[in-house]
Amino acid sequence: MRAPAETTIRTPGRATLAARRSALLLLLIVAWWAASLALPPYVLPSPARVAQRLAQLAESGDLFTNLFTTLWRVLAGFAVAVVIGVPGGILLGSNRALGSFFEPVLPVMNTVSSAIWAIFAILWFGLSPLTPIFVVLMTALPLIITNVWQGTQAVNADYVELAHTLRFSRFKTLLKIYVPSILPYFFSGARLAFGFGWRVSLVAETLGASSGVGYRLRQASDLIQTDQVFAWTIAQIAMMVVIEIGLLAPLERHLFRWRRDVRT
Amino acid sequence: MTPPAAHVAHPDQRQALAFRHVSKQFPRGDGGALEVLRDVSFDVPAGSVVSILGPSGSGKSTLLNMAAGLLAPDQGRVLVLGHETTGTVDWSRLGYMFQDDRLLPWRTAIDNVGLALETGSIGRREKRERSQAQLSLVGLGDFASAYPHQLSGGMRSRVALARSLVTEPDILLMDEPFSRLDAQTRTTMHTELLRIHRERGMSIVFVTHDVEEAVILADHIVMFSPRPGRVHTELAVELPHPRLGTPDALSLVAELRAAIAGMSADWVI
Repeated sequence: MRAPAETTIRTPGRATLAARRSALLLLLIVAWWAASLALPPYVLPSPARVAQRLAQLAESGDLFTNLFTTLWRVLAGFAVAVVIGVPGGILLGSNRALGSFFEPVLPVMNTVSSAIWAIFAILWFGLSPLTPIFVVLMTALPLIITNVWQGTQAVNADYVELAHTLRFSRFKTLLKIYVPSILPYFFSGARLAFGFGWRVSLVAETLGASSGVGYRLRQASDLIQTDQVFAWTIAQIAMMVVIEIGLLAPLERHLFRWRRDVRT
Repeated sequence: MTPPAAHVAHPDQRQALAFRHVSKQFPRGDGGALEVLRDVSFDVPAGSVVSILGPSGSGKSTLLNMAAGLLAPDQGRVLVLGHETTGTVDWSRLGYMFQDDRLLPWRTAIDNVGLALETGSIGRREKRERSQAQLSLVGLGDFASAYPHQLSGGMRSRVALARSLVTEPDILLMDEPFSRLDAQTRTTMHTELLRIHRERGMSIVFVTHDVEEAVILADHIVMFSPRPGRVHTELAVELPHPRLGTPDALSLVAELRAAIAGMSADWVI
């Protein structure tokens, strides 16, 4: 077996890429600014005004408190999804009968909108942190199970045979053959689940929480504080970008440095 | 009445491996059985290189899997270092090399070699040192931190060889290990294997369908007939090394090929 992804990606130089990205960002801000000149601030506030509001929110501590509240809930739901999804996926992937029995559950779970999960969560948990956590869990779980399941089925039987000739115990085979084989699948599932989780957590918070970015977004929109809505939106995008560039991308590069496509 | 001598349990250390009237069938999809091996008996003397030569479907790999204790014979017995494979055998004294290199792509060369040492309680440091020593032995001392995809086919094969040697086995089971290499690299690997055999003195069971390879490597050749696999001929090769291209070796190859031609039309050489 080779690594699941084998395509070579031609990447431009670091400096060129940074310049290109900055240019794009600048272009968007200029377009936004130009549009804001023609529209009232409650429809489209100017970039300067939003920046001001953002600074205000940061200064009061409001910004980080709510960002971390939401992040914590996403992580909690995500963690529960991993704890259930990884063993579940391995079990379904390694047991054919069990796998084919439960197979229909996942697509059905995927078709349920996160708004529906949120409504159920409000019915069951009320206005509490458990509501967004539950919604994140229900969204992330099928993604993680599906990927780990696929990864388990893709484990190369030749490597398992190798483990047999080396007289590895079942546990050692799991640890040294299965886990590294499944890891790339788990990682792509987890990444997807984390991104989805973050988005649905905001939906859940607008409907059923009394803190967090989603709650603050709704509050701002109820009061027609459009500049605040923009500020929160930008803050949450920035946070995801930081997590992606600062944590997930380097982690992926490190974990899968053995692959052809990430060789530098 | 005294029991027959064969039933007396005394480990015979002069035979690395012994096959005694071994037969094996596999169930077939249609409910029938596929007879793979029929009444196979031969020995692998300790320290020798024995080549099992046969066409595909003559049960060569099955035989090797029995020697490795991964399969049990239907009838007969397989003895490893004098102990029956169905009883207690110290499996760490066997090394196994597959037809493909079977390196784990997520491990560096040195960690692939070290995998074979991860069964027991060997410390990290010792594992590293021993793996490095094996890599040096196969001429890859400078490639310890390379990943498999960065290595050529020949180099990967060397890493696989180092992995099967790192436990310092008394018996090395090799299942057509060089069949996927180009001719030149294969010749280099033959030379390396014979050098290591001279240094280590382990017994080698080398499965191949290539007559020339068998003649170049083996002290004994056990020739198999096609399905069901039976021992067709056993012969000792008493030619000095290196044998590649020597007149004696060439005539032996020709002789064996003629014998095969008489035995089986579908043996692709």
